[in-house]
Amino acid sequence: MQTLRTPLNKVHHDLKAKIVEFAGWELPIWFTSILEEHRAVRSRAGIFDVSHMGRIQVSGENAGAFLDRMFTRPAQRLAVGSSQLCLMCLENGGILDDLFVYRVDGEQYLIIWNASHSQQKLDWVLSQKEEFPDVTVRNSTLDTAMLAVQGPDAIHLKDMNRLSQLPRFGHAQAKIAGFDVRVARTGYTGEDGFEVISEAADAVPLWESFTQQGVTPCGLGARDSLRLEAGMLLYGQDMDTSTNPFEADLGWLVDLDDTDFIGKQALQAANKWGIKRKLVGFQMNGREIARTGYSIYQSGREVGRVTSGSYAPTLGVNIGMGYVPIELATIGTDIQIMIRNQLVDARLVSKRFYKRR
Amino acid sequence: MNPKECRYTKEHEWIRPETGGFGKVGITNYAQSQLGDIVFLALPNVGTRVEQFQKMGEIESVKAVSDLFTPVSGQILEINQAAANKPELVNQDPYGAGWLVRLKLSNLAELDKLMPSAEYDQFEAKLTEDSSH
Repeated sequence: MQTLRTPLNKVHHDLKAKIVEFAGWELPIWFTSILEEHRAVRSRAGIFDVSHMGRIQVSGENAGAFLDRMFTRPAQRLAVGSSQLCLMCLENGGILDDLFVYRVDGEQYLIIWNASHSQQKLDWVLSQKEEFPDVTVRNSTLDTAMLAVQGPDAIHLKDMNRLSQLPRFGHAQAKIAGFDVRVARTGYTGEDGFEVISEAADAVPLWESFTQQGVTPCGLGARDSLRLEAGMLLYGQDMDTSTNPFEADLGWLVDLDDTDFIGKQALQAANKWGIKRKLVGFQMNGREIARTGYSIYQSGREVGRVTSGSYAPTLGVNIGMGYVPIELATIGTDIQIMIRNQLVDARLVSKRFYKRR
Repeated sequence: MNPKECRYTKEHEWIRPETGGFGKVGITNYAQSQLGDIVFLALPNVGTRVEQFQKMGEIESVKAVSDLFTPVSGQILEINQAAANKPELVNQDPYGAGWLVRLKLSNLAELDKLMPSAEYDQFEAKLTEDSSH
């Protein structure tokens, strides 16, 4: 398959970013340094090209009812101009993706989901649409661009300072640097900030309008270290179709009361009978870094696997997430990680490693 | 530019031979630029015997972990404690303050299996060119 390029591809190359392939897209992993970019977002503001994220428009009569069938939290309950994080599950409760639903207008919704398995997810959604003949599903990913402007200074940038009334998870049409965009007060960094969706053709001047104000270009590396510090999960790593939302500690994204969504029966059972393992956060006692796939031990026995691990630049320690048996999933529990054939000490801590002040 | 007095491996390590059959080893500027911010060095213990081109340690950057290979056989005499404590020295000064280990070579003829600087310059240029297409 041809590697996809975002409308900002040339900008990334011109800035001499280190480029990698991610979920079928050519994207910058860093421009100058992951650490510098990470710190820029925590202390000032950074800008990420997140145009690889899927943008799917769902509209027409019963669009809300259709999404309520597909996702774990009812979209119809959203007010126009608000959004929510939720999950798309299989019948067995396994997680197909985590995603944002924006209610744009009465029966007009926008879904933002992960770049991975884009076509399979679209096929899945379309295959469930038979009972909803008037609903239209349109993939607008390639016609649009998406920028994440994140950090404490984001709200002070030109044209963004007029959005201070926009609540967290709120979104609105706005004019930024003269371009018509949809702006949402959302992000994947643990900081205040915005995600901006524009026409593909406007992406370059829009990006430059931010970088000219001193906003630091940031790559996927900082995006990953920032989201991990903030305790946010990465689909495909910290959860996938083999994990259910309760195991992934995402029960708060599942509404078992109101609607009848795909996977509800399985999740009701999981909720009733309990889970055997759970995603937890851990902190390394020393300087070794636990990487994805490393084994977690307790009392000499292998009990689970690391799903994410990194140096945490803001905290100056090494952190990670992984699955452990439910009976061990308590903050303060001592564990060991097998690193280079040696057991290295770590302890369970809250997944919200970093909390902004 | 890569220092003329060093010899290089295809895995992007350098060795700077000293009189008496000693040498300091590090990673090249190209290697550090590819790894990005280095945050931890897993270096062999002093006294360890190592075999040419075998793994002798690991280098952790924020993003990933990479193997460190030894350019020659020999015995580890010293590790760079300053770099172990402050791994960003490897990013900042890969041929100087960011050296990794010093060893006693067991077979000087092994140096002939390594690339001189001019050859490594070309090797690096080719890699840089390939990755920009």
